[in-house]
Amino acid sequence: MRKPFHSKTSSRIMLAVISTMAIAGLFLVLEFTPSISGQAGDVMAQKIFYYHVPSAWTTGLAYFVVMIAGIQFLRTGDHKWDWVGLASAEIGTLFCALVLITGPIWGKAAWGQPWTWEPRLVTTLILFLIYVGYFMLRQFGGHYERAARNSAVLGILAFVDVPIVYVSLKFWSEETQAHPQAQMGGQSTTILWIFLFVLSTFALLSVHMIRYRIHLLSLRNELLTGNHGI
Amino acid sequence: MFLTVLKKDLLVELRSKEIVISMIAFGVSVILLYSFSFNQSPETFSIFSAGLLWMVFLFISVLGLHRSFSLEKEFDAMGLMLSAPVDRSYIFLSKWLSGLAFLLVSQSVIVPLFWLFLHLPIPGNLGGWIGLFILSDLGITSIGSLVSGITMRARMGEILLPILLFPLVSPLLIAAVRSTHALMNNQDFGEWRIWIQLMTTFVVAFALMGYVIFDHVSEQ
Repeated sequence: MRKPFHSKTSSRIMLAVISTMAIAGLFLVLEFTPSISGQAGDVMAQKIFYYHVPSAWTTGLAYFVVMIAGIQFLRTGDHKWDWVGLASAEIGTLFCALVLITGPIWGKAAWGQPWTWEPRLVTTLILFLIYVGYFMLRQFGGHYERAARNSAVLGILAFVDVPIVYVSLKFWSEETQAHPQAQMGGQSTTILWIFLFVLSTFALLSVHMIRYRIHLLSLRNELLTGNHGI
Repeated sequence: MFLTVLKKDLLVELRSKEIVISMIAFGVSVILLYSFSFNQSPETFSIFSAGLLWMVFLFISVLGLHRSFSLEKEFDAMGLMLSAPVDRSYIFLSKWLSGLAFLLVSQSVIVPLFWLFLHLPIPGNLGGWIGLFILSDLGITSIGSLVSGITMRARMGEILLPILLFPLVSPLLIAAVRSTHALMNNQDFGEWRIWIQLMTTFVVAFALMGYVIFDHVSEQ
């Protein structure tokens, strides 16, 4: 019988590290990052950037894993890759939702309106919509084997599509305000270090969540196939 | 062998004409709704017309693509075709090109009616229009055939197809609308070349993907 996920020493250490980092990160962001006043003059809103941008990067990373897992699943037919793909898609979509929630909160304060047709934000929305379709395909895709294969294909399709979406939106909405992320390089080192700290917290958290989800999927598989006790 | 598969797709449609007729009928009804909903001066309408035109094309392509693939479910035609000694990529290529043909035929009826009903000024540069339609249609039907292949045997496939297709096809739609707008206003080609390049990238990327990956989609 396998040990429950949360009883494993590695999982416990990971969880402790992530919790500590999350609390420390919150403290660092609130105390040590400078406030930059936006158009609406709301200086606190800048802080959400330390959660918005890492969420976006984590989303990108998770969806990249979906694509790799998709290719591997189609090549090898190994179900482990399917679980990796599904788990990453779920966690990626969770962070994608966070991007879409935090973006408008910041936008309202900085630009005076919650939504602009800014390329990165719209690309994220399109990705989110594609992945809503992905989960519907999982749900209604018919036989498990077929749904797994088709969603692997969709994961690859989505990743090929996204750069084209981004480029087209860039040319489409040239007049909209530029995303401030491009200026990140010019900021002081304190900001960069705190940003990287929060980013690594998010990366670790997503890896942990994906691992947990893969564990659950493998348990479900054992139940369904009657293949207990490895 | 590819030509045989393509001939089969075209012949089935030529005999029943159900796909093209339903695409045209649906397209014309949407134009009718447009003219009721935008009962304003033609000048106001011409600002939106490029976008509205492509909305019609997107709607009718979903209709056509879905029908084209669901035909294969009847009498398990897909299963028989898969067991035939045909390269599966040919099935994709054939669906892609036959889809292109159906869309072009429907457009040749819908576009004149669109201009006629909505009192738009007659534009010049016929070659440019034909080129634009062929390029954009190649894009819509390439990714459309792939997504239809994915959704054809899913429950609620007819709903899943547009849900998946619309976000995926959005860059192509932007490019097509922008190019149509430029053609309507006789803009210099240099100003909107980027959109043609973008559409070409899209077509090449998804045609290649379809060719390589359709094998996995069509597996039983």
